[in-house]
Amino acid sequence: MSRVFLIWAVTHSVKEVQSEDSVLLFVIAWTITEIIRYSFYTFSLLNHLPYLIKWARYTLFIVLYPMGVSGELLTIYAALPFVRQAGLYSISLPNKYNFSFDYYAFLILIMISYIPIFPQLYFHMIHQRRKVLSHTEEHKKFE
Amino acid sequence: MKHYEVEILDAKTREKLCFLDKVEPHATIAEIKNLFTKTHPQWYPARQSLRLDPKGKSLKDEDVLQKLPVGTTATFYFRDLGAQISWVTVFLTEYAGPLFIYLLFYFRVPFIYGHKYDFTSSRHTVVHLACICHSFHYVKRLLETLFVHRFSHGTMPLRNIFKNCTYYWGFAAWMAYYINHPLYTPPTYGAQQVKLALAIFVICQLGNFSIHMALRDLRPAGSKTRKIPYPTKNPFTWLFLLVSCPNYTYEVGSWIGFAIMTQCVPVALFSLVGFTQMTIWAKGKHRSYLKEFRDYPPLRMPIIPFLL
Repeated sequence: MSRVFLIWAVTHSVKEVQSEDSVLLFVIAWTITEIIRYSFYTFSLLNHLPYLIKWARYTLFIVLYPMGVSGELLTIYAALPFVRQAGLYSISLPNKYNFSFDYYAFLILIMISYIPIFPQLYFHMIHQRRKVLSHTEEHKKFE
Repeated sequence: MKHYEVEILDAKTREKLCFLDKVEPHATIAEIKNLFTKTHPQWYPARQSLRLDPKGKSLKDEDVLQKLPVGTTATFYFRDLGAQISWVTVFLTEYAGPLFIYLLFYFRVPFIYGHKYDFTSSRHTVVHLACICHSFHYVKRLLETLFVHRFSHGTMPLRNIFKNCTYYWGFAAWMAYYINHPLYTPPTYGAQQVKLALAIFVICQLGNFSIHMALRDLRPAGSKTRKIPYPTKNPFTWLFLLVSCPNYTYEVGSWIGFAIMTQCVPVALFSLVGFTQMTIWAKGKHRSYLKEFRDYPPLRMPIIPFLL
């Protein structure tokens, strides 16, 4: 969901941001993550999961996840002045629908929401890592 | 008279929590729950779910011990429903909020709009009308909670009050902000639109109240009986011919009326979300009616005649 938002509602919508380094940062992070993640799913379905893939999925996120989040946040931050200037996706009063929406404020709220959400997801993955990787080690011990 | 023995086990751990001997055969589940509370005071009866099967449905408070499929030693499984709060408390809180909050915006209390607008009044009639309608609606709901509704369950989980109040109070503030805004734009079709919308609103409020009264009269005070509702002499109740939950139908109608009257998108969104939730409830109620009563009128739909 956040992927779709970053691509369409931020990077595609605000052309000035497309040459930023932060975009490169999250694209690389997401690409590596997805290659590993989908290999993990494919091999799991074939019942032949190399330990390396399992290890990669549950270890590389430690670096890739913060990398992706930094890229995302920096991109949104870079887009802010252009959104403000162009009044992008915003509607102000008065209008006959008696409704207003400030996309600039909305983006700031999105950025703030990373504060509670990111630690939750990150520590959930760390917890999963401990469970999954130690389980495999025990299996190996008994072989 | 043969006495029963009752043992209560934890549904998850199967640990023996309580053993009751010399229980009367005609004891109800409610009485057994009271006995259980004596040994575990932190689990008051409203928090207890007792069942014959650890994964099965909860037994009802009115169920009688000897009528249940148990031997002379009955085994019940216990699940903690979590902290409970009474329906009346939740309803009063969630409805008092919007009543009060809307008025804060109507009177343009400081720090909402610019300082030059503090305590000013709108020059549009429809804004005053909207305040009257909105306030009337929530006063009606509060009075119905206190004097009309007869609740099947006494309580609901505590976390619901936070969820429900966020919904009601949040939407009330959002709607009220725009309707009472100094830059509010009155409806495109002027007084005609407002009059039509007001008529819809009033009719639906009367309808909704009529249904609440009809439902109350189905159930004697203090009982939990369930009967099929039928139209009465009151024309507003004739909607029972076509839907199972006309109270919800009228409620959606009221809010659609209010949305047309104020021509305000947040009101329309509130109506839409409310409609979605009420449709889910109506479908559930309709299904329960069909399951419980073989002779349930086949023409009826849950909430929208012929459609939904």
